[in-house]
Amino acid sequence: MGDKIMTERKIMMIQYVTGILSVFLVSVHLLYQGVIVPYEKAISFSQVLSLYRHIFYGSMLEILLVVILVHGFNGLRIILLELNQSQDWSKAVDIITVIATVVTIAYGTRTVILAVFGGVS
Amino acid sequence: MSYVKLVVQRYDPERDEKPRFQEYIVPYRKGMTVLDAILYARDYLDHSIGVRFSCRMASCGSCGMKINGKPALACYTQVSELGTERIVVQPMDNFPVIKDLATDFEEFFEKHKELMPYLVREDRAEQENPKSEYLMKPEELERILQFTYCIKCGLCYSVCPTVGTDKLFPGPQAIAQAYRYVEDVRDEGGETRLNILDNPHGIWRCHFAGSCSAVCPKGVDPALGIQLLRRYVMRGKAPRKKGEGSKPFTK
Repeated sequence: MGDKIMTERKIMMIQYVTGILSVFLVSVHLLYQGVIVPYEKAISFSQVLSLYRHIFYGSMLEILLVVILVHGFNGLRIILLELNQSQDWSKAVDIITVIATVVTIAYGTRTVILAVFGGVS
Repeated sequence: MSYVKLVVQRYDPERDEKPRFQEYIVPYRKGMTVLDAILYARDYLDHSIGVRFSCRMASCGSCGMKINGKPALACYTQVSELGTERIVVQPMDNFPVIKDLATDFEEFFEKHKELMPYLVREDRAEQENPKSEYLMKPEELERILQFTYCIKCGLCYSVCPTVGTDKLFPGPQAIAQAYRYVEDVRDEGGETRLNILDNPHGIWRCHFAGSCSAVCPKGVDPALGIQLLRRYVMRGKAPRKKGEGSKPFTK
């Protein structure tokens, strides 16, 4: 179906998968940070830093970052596409949301990397 | 109740700047429908009321309008069931107004046509001159039966929030009819319909508000059709390819 590399069907498949993954990962995160680890301790600087430096939890946070940003910005794209139906608008919305997703993922990843490699102490 | 107060939204785009409401006192009789009340007002009180109707028995789908804020067929709505003496009638939303209660269906039917609401078969010559019937099993008919009841009245289209914001969205009626033909075992045009629907303003823009199904006077569930068709679009595969439709019956 379709000649384009990224058909709407594939984009929506990504949207549904990231949606389900977000619910699962956020649940794990909230269960750990607030139930298993008491809330007051969970938001302490040293605790947050230790999570970033934990190989599994740090990886999960990075995946969560990507999943939520892809889901969120694609959701924003869908809302914006409905505002106007011109080709120029659609193209601009596609480009801007992809750039915004990449930039925010890069910025979030920078925080994770700095925490892991000691840029933040 | 001896009379009803009929409030008609009047608007002629060629003359009026904005819509206004006009009130008519119509004598009530048992069994009176909203269309009867409008036609009484038009025949005896004001000949200039613009209204479209035809069959008066919920078969043609011509008299769709908003009755006390809710879209319905005027011929299928009894005055007594409204529980009020004041009846406000307005043209359907999401349609351009031709005059008063009559709306323009051109865009609606264009979207309907675009999704090929007819059987598509590879062997056109055989389809045009069939030698025998294309048989369906009862369970195959059951899957599409409710969608065949659509009378194209446009009520579902008028309440669809996506149609209201996205003019390229085909609307619940067209998509549900696309499902009706994609699921029909005699049809072989599914792939083409799925390709038409798989675009940024296509089937994915349905938010599943479900208002289309709530207002259908024939009991069709367009929201269900849309969700079932999405399954095929998501898989990227129609139930049948060209040449795989049911064969003509032979003994």
